[in-house]
Amino acid sequence: MDKVRSELLQGTLDLLILKALSAVSLHGWDIAKRIAVVSNDRLSLKQGSLYPALHRLEDRGWIEAEWGVSEAGRSAKFYRLTRKGRKELEVEKEHWLSFADAMNSVLNNLEELS
Amino acid sequence: MSAERWRWLRTKCRRLFRRGKEEAALDRELQFHLDQLVAQFREEGMSEKEARLAARREFGAAGEAYREEIRDTWRPPQLADLWRSVRFAVRSLARSPGFALLAIMTLALGIGGNTMMFSVFDSVVRKPLPYPESEQLDRIYRGTPQNSGGNLAPADFLDLQRNAQSYGAVAAFAPSDTSLSEPGQPAEMASGVRTTANLFSLLGIEPQLGRDFRKGEDIPGNDRVVILSQRCWQKRFGGDPEIVGRMIRIDGRPHQIVGVMPAAFNDWRHLGWVDLFRPLALEKDQATNRRDTILHVIGRRSAQVSPAEGNGFIANFGARLAKDFPEVNAGSSWRAERLNGTIQGKTAGTILGLLIGLSGFVLLIACSNLANLLLARTIARAREFAVRSALGASRMQLLRPLIVESLLLATAGGLCAILVAMWGADWLAARSTGDNGEQVILAFNWAVFGWAFGASVFTAVAFGLAPALFALRLNVNGTLKSGGRGLTGTRGHQRFGRILIAGQFALAMVLLAGAALFIRGLNELNHRRAGWQSERLVTGTVVLPAARYSSARTINNFHRLVVERLESLPGVASASISSFAPFFDWADVRKYLVAGRALPKPGHEPAAVVNAITPHYFETVRTPLLAGRVFNARDTATSAKVFIINHAMAVGLFGNQDPIGHRLAQTGRADLQWGEIVGVVADVRSVLPEAGPVSFQLYEPMAQEPRAYDEIAVRAASGAPSVLIENIRTAMTSLDPDLPVRSLQTADATIERANYQTAVLRDMLTGFAILGLGLASLGIYGVIARTTAQRTSEFAIRFALGACVRDITRIVLASGIKLVLIGSALGLLGAVGIAHLLAAGNPGMQLNSPPVLLGTMLLLTAVALVACWLPARRAARINPIDALRAE
Repeated sequence: MDKVRSELLQGTLDLLILKALSAVSLHGWDIAKRIAVVSNDRLSLKQGSLYPALHRLEDRGWIEAEWGVSEAGRSAKFYRLTRKGRKELEVEKEHWLSFADAMNSVLNNLEELS
Repeated sequence: MSAERWRWLRTKCRRLFRRGKEEAALDRELQFHLDQLVAQFREEGMSEKEARLAARREFGAAGEAYREEIRDTWRPPQLADLWRSVRFAVRSLARSPGFALLAIMTLALGIGGNTMMFSVFDSVVRKPLPYPESEQLDRIYRGTPQNSGGNLAPADFLDLQRNAQSYGAVAAFAPSDTSLSEPGQPAEMASGVRTTANLFSLLGIEPQLGRDFRKGEDIPGNDRVVILSQRCWQKRFGGDPEIVGRMIRIDGRPHQIVGVMPAAFNDWRHLGWVDLFRPLALEKDQATNRRDTILHVIGRRSAQVSPAEGNGFIANFGARLAKDFPEVNAGSSWRAERLNGTIQGKTAGTILGLLIGLSGFVLLIACSNLANLLLARTIARAREFAVRSALGASRMQLLRPLIVESLLLATAGGLCAILVAMWGADWLAARSTGDNGEQVILAFNWAVFGWAFGASVFTAVAFGLAPALFALRLNVNGTLKSGGRGLTGTRGHQRFGRILIAGQFALAMVLLAGAALFIRGLNELNHRRAGWQSERLVTGTVVLPAARYSSARTINNFHRLVVERLESLPGVASASISSFAPFFDWADVRKYLVAGRALPKPGHEPAAVVNAITPHYFETVRTPLLAGRVFNARDTATSAKVFIINHAMAVGLFGNQDPIGHRLAQTGRADLQWGEIVGVVADVRSVLPEAGPVSFQLYEPMAQEPRAYDEIAVRAASGAPSVLIENIRTAMTSLDPDLPVRSLQTADATIERANYQTAVLRDMLTGFAILGLGLASLGIYGVIARTTAQRTSEFAIRFALGACVRDITRIVLASGIKLVLIGSALGLLGAVGIAHLLAAGNPGMQLNSPPVLLGTMLLLTAVALVACWLPARRAARINPIDALRAE
């Protein structure tokens, strides 16, 4: 499959991070990996935007961080969702799905109307 | 608060305040990511070195680019901006430490002086006296044309006390210095006050030891009790806790100590100098006396009486007394003034307010100096501003660093200023400590710090405004086109700088002229010897205790003995006793009728100040006799009454007629006692700053009305008076061991001492003037030096075209001197105003002197000439070839 265009749509980065953290707590590297795996390498998060986004979300109180030990036995910073972040994830998800739905409708059905 | 929210807050705080730790954590987080990347590349089959390189490539140079982005998320957005501006300002100030240091020092001196003056004003005028509900307390005056702050006569006070119910309550006290001795020790002079029994309870202060005076202790015979002040208790009795009940000898009679007042009662603004309090026991003839205004009266208004109503009541009461007893009270006007804000009866607010204003001038000069400096800095950075503006920086973004820079300077200056002010206050407290140890206590409180803070913000706005306005009006296009080379600012900016300089010199002129006039006035005052001479004259004061010197005969005998004894001392030319020293105000004002003339309307009789003297007085103080004769030993209690009047009185009453032989009688007595004028002497002027112009002065023989309050004067024939002083003291002690002599010293020393508060004022004014002049010179030097440097190429071309050194020097000097002359001409107007204000507070001083004003202007111009000459010399040394090649 093709790689989607390298820059993500605006506002989707936060949603991706929140979703990735929705079940488990992860460090930055694993967040990027997991998104890449799940999206079949079509979505790749650049660390240049990943880490500022993590710190920004932490500042908003949507995720929180804790130092832990990685599988390789090194100390790493693990992020997890807060309750506020979980609520935000739901809102953002709704938002995105309805947006995608609307986009789909327009793209698939507009010719038929005309 | 939920645990989550709590953890979030902690993170935020850590990010704000524990930057180092957070940075380290960020490093570890990013390093971890990098290592993971390296590990991944290794798995894909790269060598260790290749993997590291590849990871670096992907990661960017240690991720510096987005580190800053991450840090930004750590800071609240506005704070982040502010923080950046502050760091920017600190860096830009640190790049020119000379400028920063100069600015901070200038501000520290300017704000510091101002804050110090405010702290004086605060502790003197704003801080209430240490009495409960002190705003209800009034000082009650009986003003007369001679003395607006006059006291009350005993009988008038007793009338007031009986009728004051609708006002509140009144109490009185009278200073009465006494001798204090304990068995087997020589007597000491103590400052004493006799008070009505209700004074302390009226003020609302209780003794810290023992008891207050009881009702009835102010009846003659019951009054052998005394209350000590805290100061006297500590200094003289070592703070003995068993002091109450002890007997001490006061004026040679045993008195019992019944109490000790607390330290708060020693507030220097009111009763701070007192050692002993005794009941005011009025003898029968004193209680009916409406003539001698000896009582200081204090009132406490009832809670529902406003100050205005209280004053109205007192004024009405005075008017009624004036109608009932016109022969003594006509022409007097009574009033009540708040006790807070007066110092020992004098209004200090005006003069202190004036000093705050003058220190404000220094601050303004400092501000305009800084405005000029900052303006120059901003102009030098015009290109930077233009570029930033062209790149889309908003006005706010352009202004913020300027505003922050001036706020930063002002804050640093303000902090240093508090140190300066504290130091200044220490100096002032030490300088203004009086003979009696009374001291101006300058406390630094929040009001003072608030003032310093306000002054700092004011200065930041005042001097930050100029560069800000400049940046706003920047012409981007023009600035970029000119290439930022040889920028001198537009004409408008130069004009602004010049106006600031001229304004500085106007202010400096006012300060300098005020100080110069005051120095001259005080000098004149201290060396004023109008109508008498001070060389080798020694004076001192004795107060004969009424208990042992009760009759006119005993007093007269004592006076005779004293004069005989003193005149027999070796090296003494002559000696005398008088009721007043020639150089101070004579407080005894009396009204007189002239024989053979129609009675004037009550209250309009001529009034004169009266001095009772022994025969050799004029010889001793050397007041010239103009006509007639002086008193002699044949003018006694039983001989015909005689007077000597001064020149002003002779002219005022008799014009061109010969006054000798005319007869006068004092008003206010049922049986008028006529006395003959036998002589006319020269006018004598007081050396005190508060004294009014010379009034009528009248002398009468001491023998005809002996006084218990005596000024001794001894004229030495030759040599130093210091030996004489000890001889006089010994002689006096041998005559009466219970009688101490106070202030026994040369007349010159007494005068110097009496005017010490005025001297403190002079020193402060001088300090401000020097500071102002220094700052203004610095300002003009800076501006001229800068503009000269900017005109280097112009001067080089002039040189090349044949100008000589003198021409260039003249151009530079002229540009500076013009500003100074304009400024000081403006300042001259202000100086005249200052002289008027100072004169209002010190009516006895000669404060108007055109030569001094002219001299001040010359001095100012001379200093400015030097300040301009330095850059002019540099300009004249320009090597035209080098200068033009550098273009």
